[in-house]
This record gives sequence, structure tokens and C-alpha cells, in this order.
Amino acid sequence: MEKYEKLEKVGEGTYGKVYRAKDKATGQLVALKKTRLEMDEEGIPPTALREISLLKMLSHSLYIVRLLCVEHIDKNGKPFLYLVFEYLDTDLKKFIDSHRKGPNARPLPPSLIQSFLYQLCKGVAHCHSHGVLHRDLKPQNLLVDKEKGILKIADLGLGRAFTVPMKSYTHEIVTLWYRAPEVLLGSTHYSTAVDMWSVGCIFAEMVRRQALFPGDSEFQQLLYIFRLVGTPTDKQWPGVTSLRDWHVYPQWEPQNLASAVPALGPDGVDLLANMLKFNPADRISAKAALDHPYFDSLDKSQF
Amino acid sequence: MEFDLENSLTGFDAAVSALFAAESDHTPSFIGFESTDVRFSLRRHSLSLISQAQSSYKFDGYTAYLAGNYIDRFLSEQAVMENKPWMVRILVIASLSLAAKMRNVDLSLSDIQRDVGIIFDAQSIHRMELLILDALKWRLRSITPFSFLHLFTSVFQLGDSSLTQSLKQRASDIIFSTQCEIKLFEYKPSVIAVSALLCAADELIPLQFSSCLAAISECQYLNKEELMNALAVMREMLIEGRESTVGSEPCSMLTPQSVLECERTSSQCETPTNQDRDNINKQRLSDLRDDHTFQISQVQWC
Repeated sequence: MEKYEKLEKVGEGTYGKVYRAKDKATGQLVALKKTRLEMDEEGIPPTALREISLLKMLSHSLYIVRLLCVEHIDKNGKPFLYLVFEYLDTDLKKFIDSHRKGPNARPLPPSLIQSFLYQLCKGVAHCHSHGVLHRDLKPQNLLVDKEKGILKIADLGLGRAFTVPMKSYTHEIVTLWYRAPEVLLGSTHYSTAVDMWSVGCIFAEMVRRQALFPGDSEFQQLLYIFRLVGTPTDKQWPGVTSLRDWHVYPQWEPQNLASAVPALGPDGVDLLANMLKFNPADRISAKAALDHPYFDSLDKSQF
Repeated sequence: MEFDLENSLTGFDAAVSALFAAESDHTPSFIGFESTDVRFSLRRHSLSLISQAQSSYKFDGYTAYLAGNYIDRFLSEQAVMENKPWMVRILVIASLSLAAKMRNVDLSLSDIQRDVGIIFDAQSIHRMELLILDALKWRLRSITPFSFLHLFTSVFQLGDSSLTQSLKQRASDIIFSTQCEIKLFEYKPSVIAVSALLCAADELIPLQFSSCLAAISECQYLNKEELMNALAVMREMLIEGRESTVGSEPCSMLTPQSVLECERTSSQCETPTNQDRDNINKQRLSDLRDDHTFQISQVQWC
């Protein structure tokens, strides 16, 4: 670890401390994620092994935060792993916050929203093409380089590698805001569509500068969703009423989605509607989203 | 657990080109090694130990293959000066342990250790695991020939799914059986996969062989000359294998000369018999107690 100079602690993430550090040899900034390695009789835990190697495999993409290397150290006989990631200066949550409040409050430029969403879909498509679900996409997990207008997906698979706690170290409750309805309703077979729901919520949040469905319990979360997109029916989503956590809900009619994202043009609203389809089978895939007319005006040669 | 594109293939899309682009990172390179390099014999002994363990404990072929792949990549990254029996054994145990974890397979490492004649303490195995992980840069999802089988069978467009299955099955057997062959080392996993499929096609559907070859030659990611060379080597090996009537077990295709070398260079090739085993255990353990920390670190630094 003497290769790196720790500059500051930038966070106490869900899985351990995160430091901003500098590679002494190259001057490159890195993010160090320190995590305790629970070595049992079996040595390196299989989940950590599988997930880190997964991250290693996926970090070939420009749209995934690159895992540069893994260092292990023994501190007082306790094994620790440092995951060394490339460093980006902020995340999408902080970026949106800075546009909502403070001296520089203003909407995000539409072309930036378009570009960020495109990069997000690229990254998600890359994961999905390798059979990998993220399952916890949210603005905090999307790192942003403000100067270059780059967005990358972070924290892939760490949830499975180091077991998802209900509360993070900072006692921040794990957010439900981006969780797909099938997950909230206790479906056991969920797939790539869960990530696309989250992408839809993030898309709307960039436009609105505030969360689309800010529920604070699973039940509340569902009510927020149903109030906007209508209470789902068996006709629209076959099998929904037999899902494990289905209850009888008030029957809401779908609202006009455009009213929730007034700043968004018709193509954008159409794409969002396709991301927020109840039936996971009807929800647009990341790959198809990249070809949606919403992105027609984007210069794709830069990606 | 390998890089598997089974569900994503509707053509050569981005995932496929990424796979081809990344395969060299997962290919061990022994090019430039002297033929006397001790790593060749380390490798041979390791693969034959894995093969023995596999036939005794009946774990799946892919776990064994993956462990072999880790060993190859480890050896191609690490300079190792001497071939000591304990080195081969700890390398085999740690690689099997990693492969089993990646595959989510239960392996009784203690039984296997007893069989190979040395029992290491858990800490030594874990340290060895970490050494391998470092050398492999934690890239344990190896891109192997198996990663490409599905892709290339779909190129053949055989239609008949049971035929496709048997073709894949036979190609897999060929890949397992040729893992040891040093002559195939310089070829990329994709090239090995295609060669094995073509050999299998030649055996199972000889009339369609040329149309399969033509279809595969269209693939922009394959170098045709390289492919033809690999195919020739593989065919020769299969013929030799049949002539010498050895079974299709992995690593049974050592050439007579390499077997002799193996016998000559080290008596550790032999599996200890039951009555010897306790003595050997005691002896090896006392060896280890003296300087085993030093020796482990030797693997790291020399």
C-alpha cells in the first residue's frame, strides 16, 4: 500500500472506508476502498472472489468505474483488501444537488442529461451483455467527471461480495427509490429489467432535480409509483396479483407522465415511459434504449 | 463462471468483440522461455496431479481445466527457478481451491492433499491463493476455449440441436484432452475452440466439414493461417492419441518422450501408495516445518 499516498477520507461507504489517494509513482488519483476480508477456514471468501473477478472483467468498459488493482494487507494479523479504483471527482447525486440548491441552482442542460443517460445505458448494456445485473443503480453509484462530462457506473457487485447491509456504516437507510416494482412486490425471478427501472428513475431525477418516487418504506414506495403510473392490473402485467407481497391497493389511474417531467420533450417522455413499464417483459432493454429516437440528436461518435 | 456469452448472441455484437479483444489477457505465454525452463516440468507435474485428483474425486472437467489455466497463467507471470515437489503440490491445491470457489463446487481439499502426499496448513494455502490472485491480477473469470464454443457452433448453423450438442460435447472433450499439449500453447482460446469444433465436425459430420470451415473462415476475428496451423497440430495429436490407445483423460496425451522426461526428472510423478503415504506425510511435513515460510516467499520473489 506504500505505493499510494492517502490524501483524505472521502466517505464511509456501505462496505468500508473510502479514501482519495495518489499513486506516488504516476501521480494518478485513485479511490481506495478498504474492506475487511473475512477469512475463514476456506481462505478468500468465494463471493468476494467471484465479484471482484467480475468487476475486473467488466471494467474493460469506459462506462464502468475501472478497478485498477487489488491489494491485500495484514494489519495486526487481520486481513484487509484495498480495491483501487480510478478516481472521479463527484457523483450524480452531488451533481444534481448542486444544481438544485445553492448559488448555482439551475436545470441540468438537456444535452448533458441526454449524454449522461446514453453513457448510463451503454454501461448497463455492457453489464447485461455479460449476464450481470447491477441491482442497486442510483445517482450515488454513478460517478461523474464534471469537466469532461463523463459518467461511469460504480459499486458493481459489491453488494453481493460483501453482503448488503440494511443500513450503511453511516446509518443511511439503503434507498428504495430506484427499486423496480417486481422487486418491491417480492418477485423471485427478476432480471435485467430491474436495472432499467432504476435507469428510468435516474433519468427523471436528472430532469426534475428531485427524486421521482421518494418512498421511505416498501409500501410507500409502491404507492408513489402507482399514483403516477397507475395501479397495475393483471391484464397489463400478467401474474402481478399473485406476487408474494401483493396487497389490495387503491386503484389509481395512470397520470400523464409528461406532467412529472415538464422540461422533457416528447421523445424523452416516450423513452421514460418505456423504462417505467410495469411488466418487466415490456420494459425497454438497455441495448434498445441506445437506439431510441431521444438520442437521435446526440453526437454518438464521441462514445 | 467463465466468460459466457450464451444468452447474448444474435450476431457479432459489442460483447463478442470485447471477448476477442480481451482473450490475450487470459492467455498464458511461454514464448521466449528456454525449453529447459523449469516451469515446463512444473506445469507438467501440476497438470498430471490435477488429472489424478480429478479421476479420484470425480469433480467436473471444467474445474480441473480452470485450475490448469490458473497454473499456466501463474507460471507464465512468475519466474520460478527450481522444481520442488512441495511447490507443485501447493500450486495445485491453491489453484484447485480457487477454481472450485469460482465454480461453486465443493471440493475436499484435505482429501486431495492427503492423496498428493503433503498436507499444508490453511494459512499457507491462503497465502498461495493470494500469490496466484496477484499474478493473475484477480482475473479469475478466465476466457478459455469454452467461452467461444457456443458462439462458433452458432456460426455453423446446423439447425439440429442434438447434433449441435454432440458437436459441442465432442469439442469439449478434445479441449480437455489437449490442455497439456505445449504445441498448442501459442494459440489463442478462440483458435483452440474453432480447431476443436472442426476436429469434432470432421469426426461426426465429415460431409459438412468443408461448409463448416468455410462458414468459420468468414469470421473477422480469426486469423485463417493461425487456425489452419492449430487445426493441423490438433489433428495430429488426436491421431497420435488414438494410435497409442490411451483414454481420453486430460493429460493422457503426453508424448512418449515427455513421459520419459517426467519419469526421469522427478520421482514425484508417482502417486504414493497407501502404505507409503503416512511416512511421506511425516517426512514432507517436517521438511515444511523447517523452512516452509522461506520457501513460500521464494515463489513470490525469485
